Amino acid sequence: MALFIAMLTSVSIGLAQAEVTPDHAKRMAKGLAIFRDGVGQAMKQRCVKCHGGGKIRGELDITTRNLLLKGGSEGPAVVPGSAKASRLFRLISHVEKPHMPAKGEKLPAGLIAKFAEWIDMGAPYGEVLLDSKLAGGEMQITDSDREYWAFVPLKMTSVPKVKNSQWVSNEIDHFVLSKLEAAGLQPNNPAQHRALLRRLYFDIIGLPPAPEEVANFLAAADGNPRAALESVVDQLLNSPHYGERWGRHWLDLARYADSFGFEQDTDRNHAYHYRDFVIKALNNDMPYNQFVRWQIAGDEIAPENPLALMATGFLGAGVFPTQLTEKEFESARYDELDDMVGTMGTAMLGMTIGCARCHDHKFDPIPTRDYYRLITTFATTIRSEIDVDLNPEVTKADLAKWQVVHDKLAAGLARWEKESLRERLVAWVKNPPAESAGKFEWLVLDDLKIKSLNGAVFKRQGDGSFLLTGNNPKDDRWVITTELKSKALTGIRIEALAHESMKHNGPGRADNGNFALSDIRVFIESLDGGSKRVAVKLTNPQTTFEQNKEGLSVASSIDADKKKTGWAVDQGGIGKDQTAVFEFAEPVGFADGVKLTVELDFFTNTSHTIGRPRLAITRHPKPVPLKGSAQVASVTKLRAAFKDADNLDEFSEKDLQMLLRAYRTLDREWLKRDAKLKAHLAAKPKPQTTKVQISSEGYKPMKHHADGRGFPHFYKHVHLLRRGDSRQKQEKMMQGFLRVLMRGAKDEEKWQQPKPNWARTSFRRKALANWLTDIDHGAGPLLARVIVNRLWKHHFGRGIVNTPNDFGLQGEVPTHPELLDFLAGELINSGWRLKPLHKKIVMSYVYGQSADFSQDKSQVDAENRLYWRCTPRRLEAEPIRDSLLKVSGLLDTTMFGKGTLDPLMKRRSIYFQIKRSKLIPTMQLFDSPEPLVGQGARPSTIISPQALMFMNNAQIRAAAMSLAGKLETEVNSQAVMVGYQTVIGRAPSLREKQATLVFISKQEESYCEVGRNDARKLALADFAQVLFGLNEFVYVN
Amino acid sequence: MDEIREIKNLTRRAMLQRCGMGMGSLGLWSLLQQEGLAGQRTLAPKHPHFAPKAKSVIWIFTNGGPSQVDTWDYKPALAKRDGQTLDGFDRFTGFFANSVGGLMKSPFEFKQYGQCGKHVSSIFPRLAKQVDRMAFIHSGHTESNNHSPALFMMNCGLPRMGYPCVGSWVTYGLGSSSDSLPAFVVMSDPKGRGLPKGHAANWGAGYLPSVYQGTHFRPTGDPIDNLYRPREMNPDQQRRQLDLLRHLNQKHLDANPYEEELAARIESFELAYRMQSAAPEALAVDQEPKHIQKLYGLDDDKCKHIASQCLTARRMIERGVRFVQIYSGGMENQRSWDGHNDIKGNHSQFAAETDKPVAGLIADLAQRGLLNETLIVWGGEFGRLPIAQKGSKPGRDHNPHAYTNWMVGGGINGGVSYGETDEIGHKAAVNKVTVNDLHATILHLLGMDHERLTYRYNGRDFRLTDVAGKVIREVTS
Repeated sequence: MALFIAMLTSVSIGLAQAEVTPDHAKRMAKGLAIFRDGVGQAMKQRCVKCHGGGKIRGELDITTRNLLLKGGSEGPAVVPGSAKASRLFRLISHVEKPHMPAKGEKLPAGLIAKFAEWIDMGAPYGEVLLDSKLAGGEMQITDSDREYWAFVPLKMTSVPKVKNSQWVSNEIDHFVLSKLEAAGLQPNNPAQHRALLRRLYFDIIGLPPAPEEVANFLAAADGNPRAALESVVDQLLNSPHYGERWGRHWLDLARYADSFGFEQDTDRNHAYHYRDFVIKALNNDMPYNQFVRWQIAGDEIAPENPLALMATGFLGAGVFPTQLTEKEFESARYDELDDMVGTMGTAMLGMTIGCARCHDHKFDPIPTRDYYRLITTFATTIRSEIDVDLNPEVTKADLAKWQVVHDKLAAGLARWEKESLRERLVAWVKNPPAESAGKFEWLVLDDLKIKSLNGAVFKRQGDGSFLLTGNNPKDDRWVITTELKSKALTGIRIEALAHESMKHNGPGRADNGNFALSDIRVFIESLDGGSKRVAVKLTNPQTTFEQNKEGLSVASSIDADKKKTGWAVDQGGIGKDQTAVFEFAEPVGFADGVKLTVELDFFTNTSHTIGRPRLAITRHPKPVPLKGSAQVASVTKLRAAFKDADNLDEFSEKDLQMLLRAYRTLDREWLKRDAKLKAHLAAKPKPQTTKVQISSEGYKPMKHHADGRGFPHFYKHVHLLRRGDSRQKQEKMMQGFLRVLMRGAKDEEKWQQPKPNWARTSFRRKALANWLTDIDHGAGPLLARVIVNRLWKHHFGRGIVNTPNDFGLQGEVPTHPELLDFLAGELINSGWRLKPLHKKIVMSYVYGQSADFSQDKSQVDAENRLYWRCTPRRLEAEPIRDSLLKVSGLLDTTMFGKGTLDPLMKRRSIYFQIKRSKLIPTMQLFDSPEPLVGQGARPSTIISPQALMFMNNAQIRAAAMSLAGKLETEVNSQAVMVGYQTVIGRAPSLREKQATLVFISKQEESYCEVGRNDARKLALADFAQVLFGLNEFVYVN
Repeated sequence: MDEIREIKNLTRRAMLQRCGMGMGSLGLWSLLQQEGLAGQRTLAPKHPHFAPKAKSVIWIFTNGGPSQVDTWDYKPALAKRDGQTLDGFDRFTGFFANSVGGLMKSPFEFKQYGQCGKHVSSIFPRLAKQVDRMAFIHSGHTESNNHSPALFMMNCGLPRMGYPCVGSWVTYGLGSSSDSLPAFVVMSDPKGRGLPKGHAANWGAGYLPSVYQGTHFRPTGDPIDNLYRPREMNPDQQRRQLDLLRHLNQKHLDANPYEEELAARIESFELAYRMQSAAPEALAVDQEPKHIQKLYGLDDDKCKHIASQCLTARRMIERGVRFVQIYSGGMENQRSWDGHNDIKGNHSQFAAETDKPVAGLIADLAQRGLLNETLIVWGGEFGRLPIAQKGSKPGRDHNPHAYTNWMVGGGINGGVSYGETDEIGHKAAVNKVTVNDLHATILHLLGMDHERLTYRYNGRDFRLTDVAGKVIREVTS
C-alpha cells in the first residue's frame, strides 16, 4: 500500500506544478471555503456511494482530490481551474450524458453553480470524503450491497394464481405453472408410473427398484396413485440408502478424501468418520442448521456427542502438503485457512469468499479485511486424532446397570459392617484365631510419615497403602519415616498396587500405567538417640515382575546408578499388583525401638512414580518370603491397646472406627464380601473408544513430516496480508464475519457469546456457526436458499440458481426467485428438516411430469428453464456402479467404517477409500470430482473410455456373469424377460426379445465351437452386459 | 461476453449442431456443462485464437530439478570461485539447511557447439549437436524450494494442489485430433523409481472436466484401463455383442429422436471399439525400422526405456495426440535428477538416459517434417544451487531462484539464449522469466492467448497463468 500512496503523491505533485498561478494560494483558499459550504457535503451525499464508497463506477473514485484528478475510465473528472473543461461539471449540469447523479434528482442549480466555482478555484478538498480512505481505500459495505437478491431476508409471497389448477399438486406447482403459463407453455403430462418410480429410486436412494418393487407400485398406483406415490416416497426417504445417496452430494462439496494429497499423499486413516457422520445425519434427518453448526463447531457445541466431533472432519478434509520447508510453514498455514473458509463459503453460503484473499472481491461485496477477519475464526483449529467413545449411550446404559449392582453390594457390605462388625471384633479379641495371633510374616507400615519432595499427595487407604492423588510430578523423591519396637528386622517389602484411578489401572502413574523406581535406600537410628543414623545394606532383591533383567530390573533399583536405571513393570506387569522385597545384609534394630527411614527415588522416566505404594517389614529369617501373610501395624498397636480395655465404649469414636477398619481386613467373612465388591469394581464397564480425526483446538496435532523441522501447525494470530502474501503482514486481525450478511445493527459480539468455564477451545467457531445460522441478523437466509437450491438441483438436474456454488454477482440469477424463497421458508418452518422438503418436491406435479420432448415447447424454452418437462439425465458414477452391483445380485449393503481402494469392492461406492493420488478409475471415468475444492455440480461427459469400461472392465464382466448365473435356470425366453425386468425395470418388446434371443443362441453356438462347456452361461453374460450398456440403464427420464 | 450472449440465444439443437460442426469455441465448455449438454464432442478439434505455430507438445520433464550450472548454463566464474563461501547465503534456500557447503564448480567440462556457439556440458554429447534448433531460457525462477509445490507450479501454474495442468488446458483449448487415442498422454519412469511427487495431480484436470486430464500410460502391464476385451471373448463375439447393443440403443433413440446425448453415447461405443486396436498399435515401437529404433537408442540398455517413450511420443503425435509428457526419473534423490548427493554421478546417469533418445526424437521429427509443428519442452521443476551440499560425494540442493528450460520445434527461434543468471548461476538476474511466462509462451505457440483461455469455476474465470504471464517473444520466431 505504501507504494500505491507514493505513486498517487507523485501524480498530484506533477499536476499541482502545472497549475500553479501567482494567486494560487488565494484561489485555493476560496475554493476550500466553497467546498466546506456545501460542495463537500453534496459529494458525500450524492456521489461517493458509487464513486469510491464501496463501488467505483466508471473506475472513478472521488473520495480524495488525487483520485478525482486521476479520473476514471473516461479520463480526468476535473480540470482544476476550468469547470467547463471538466467532465464532472458537464455531467452534473446535464450538458453531457450520462447525467449525474445517475440515481435521484438533478442537483439544484445553485449547487451546480457552486461546483463550477469550486472547480474554477482549483477544486481543493477540505477533507477526504470517506474516513476509510485514510486507511487505504478499502471496499465499504453499504445497505445497498445488502439489497442484492441473495443477501436480503427471505421474501414470503403468497403462492401465485394459476389458470390450470388441475395441474397443481402442491404450492411448488403454483410457482412453476404460473411462469409456464406466462410463457404460453403447457407442462407435459404425468410420467408413466414405471418411469416415475425409477426416477424416484435413482433420485432418492441411487439404486434401481427391484422387479417386485416395480410390480407392487404399479398395482398400488392403479388403485390410488397419490397414496401409492406418498407411500413409496416415505419408504425411500426412510431407507438407509438415502443417506448414502445424498451424503455423496454433500461430500463433493466438502472436498472429502482420506489422504493429505501433495508429496507423499499420506493416508488419513481416521477421516472416514466424517463421511459416516454425513450419512447418519442425513438418515436421521438432522436439522440442516445443526448439520452446518456441527461441521463448523461440533466440538464446541456438543462436545459429548461423538457425531458432533465426527462432523468437524469437514474443516480438515482439504489437501495439505505433507512435506514442508521452513520457508513454506506459514504460507501453507494461510493456504489451509483459505481452504477451510473457502470450502465453507462455497458449500454453505454459495459465496466465493476465497476471491477476497489477495484483494477486495472483484464482484461481490467482500472486502479483503472481511476475509481475514473471517479466517481468524480458524486460526488455532487443527487436525487431531482423538479416542472417542462412538456409543456413549451404550456405555452409559452399561454403567447404569453396573452401578445398580455396585450400590447393592456396597450397601449390603455397609449394612453388614454396621450390624455385625463390632460384635465380631469383640469375639475376635476374646478368642483370637490362631493365624492372627501375631503369626504373620510382614508387618505393614501404615502408621508412618510420607513426604514427597515435589508435592505429590498421599491418601491413606484402609489396607495400609497410600493412594497418590493430585499433581503427578516429573520426578520425585519420597521420604518415609516410622517408629517401631522391633529389633532384628531382616527385610523390607515395597508393593506397587493397582488402582482404577490410574491409567490402565497402574500400578504406576505414567500414561502407560508403568512406574520406575530408580533407587531405594533404608536408614535406621535408635529411638533414644544412642546411635547415629546408618544406612542399611540391601541384598537379594526378589520381585513378582520386572520389565527386563537389565536397566529396568528390580536389582537395578539398588545398583550403583541412582537415576537412569530402576525397577519397572511394563510389558506384562501393567494393571496388576506388583511386589519387590529386599533383604537386609544383617538383621537390624534396637531394643528400645528404632526409627526407620526409607527413601524412594523416581528419576528414571518422566512422571513414572508408583501410584499406590505399601511398605512392610519382616523379622522372618532369611530368605524372606516374597509373599506371605501380613498385618497392618496400626492394627497391632490397637489390638494391644484393646486388650487392656474392658469394652469398646472406652474408645473414642475415631479410634474405634480405625480399629474396626483395621480389624475387618482380618475378618474372613468381611474379606469374602469385600472381595465380591472388589471383583465387581474391577468389572466396571469402560467405554470402547475408536480413533477419530477431528478438527479442534488444543489437542495434539496429527503427525507431520515437518514436525522434526519444528513445523508449528498453526499460528496464534492471523494478520491482514498484502496481496495474500504471508511475508507482507499488516495488522493482527480480530474475528469477524461478512459484513454484507450482517443486518440490523448486529455486530460480531452478538454472536460471540462468552465461552463457558469448561472451554478448551476459543469458541470462535461456535460464534461463526451462530452467525451462519442466524436467520434474523446473520447469514441464515442465504444458508437456507443455498441448500434448498441444491436439493432442487439434484432432483431436477439444474438449480433454480444454476450456479449452485455461486450466489454472488457473477452467478446466475434465480429462474424462480419466489419459489426459491418459498422453499427456503418451508425449510426453516419445518425446523430445517430436509426430508419434508424432499417429499414436497417429489410429490409436486412438476417433478412427476414426463420427459417427453416437444419441439414446439423447446422453441420457447430450449433449456427447459421453466420446467415443461423432466430433463433426462445420465446417472453419476456412483449410481451406475452401485446399480450394476445391485441388479447382478452382488451388492453388499454393509454401511459405514473404513473404506477400501479395491476397485472390486462390492459395497456402495461411497465406501471407497478416497486417496487423492489413487482415485478409483471407474469413478473418475464418470466425472466423479477430484476432491480438491468443493464441487456443486458435476459435468456429465460421454467419452469412449466409458464405453471401454462397459465393454471390457473386469467388474462389469463379473456382474454380467453373476446375473447370468441367475438367468441360467430359466429357458432363454424367460431369461430375457427376467434380465430386462431386473436391469431396466421393464419387459422387452417383441422385437427386442427376438433380437436378443437370436443373439444368445449365436453366442452360445460360438462358445460351443471353441469348446467351452459353460457356453450358455457365457452367452447369457454377453446378453447381460448388453443390458448394462443400454442407454436406458444409465439415463433416467 | 458477446459470444456468450449470442450462444445463450441459440437453441439447444442449433448449439449442438454448431459444436458438432467443429465450430465450438473456447470457453463454450463451461456453458455446455451448466446446461448438462456436454458430450464427447468436447474433445473435437477446436480453433485456437490465432494461427498456431505448433499443433502438439512433447514435454520431457526432467523430474527432480536438474542443475543449470552443470547442464546448459555455463558459468566460468563459478570455477574460479570454487570452494569459496557464498556470503549472505540464506541457508533455508534449499531443503537441507544444515548441509550448506561452499561454491562448487561443475564437475563437467563445457564446450561450444553449433553456429550459435552454445556452451554445453559434456553429459549431452548428442543434444549438443542440436543447439542451433533450441531456444534456451536461463532466467527461469519459481516459488517453492520443495518438490511437489514446484512440480505443481511448473505443471499447473500455482504451487498448490488442485489446478489444471498445462496439458489439460491445451486439450481444453484445442481439443483432440485423434478419435481413437487420448488427447493428453503421460508416461512415467518405467524402471520402478516411482512417480513424480504429487503423483497424478501433476497431470490432473483440477476443476476442468475430467475429460481433460492426462491419461497415464502405465509403464508395465496394461497401459490403460479396460483396453482389452474379456479373455473368453473373441473379436467376432464382441462385435456381435456391440451390434446388438447398437441395435437396441438405436431403437431407443428412434423413440427419443431429440435426445442428442443418446446418439453421442451410441457413437462412443464405436470409438471405444476402435481404441482397442489403435492404442496398442500406437505403442508398438517394435514395428519401426531398425535404423529408427537405433536412432532413439532402443538398442542401448542405458537409455532404451526413454527411447521407447520418445518413439511412442512421436507415434502418438503422428496419430493426433495433442500433448505428451515424459517424466525422466521417478521420485526424489538418486531416483531422479534430484542430485543431493553425488551431483556428478547423478547427472551423468540421467543425462545418459535421455541424451540419445531426445536427440533422436528431434532428429526424427525433423526428417519427417514434423518438427515445425511440434513443440518439445525440456526442463524440471526448479534448478540447483551453485554451492555444494556437503557429503562424501558432494551434491547440490534445490534452488528455486534459477533454472534452465529449452524448447525446440514449431515456432521456436533456434540458437537463441534468453535471460541470464548471476555470474555463479545462483539467481536469475537478467530478463527474469516466471513459470507463468513460460506457460504463456507455450500457449502462444499453440495459437492461444493465455489471457483469453479461461474457465468459469465457482464464480471466477480461471486461467493457467492466474493473473500474470508474459509471452517471451525473443524465443519465438
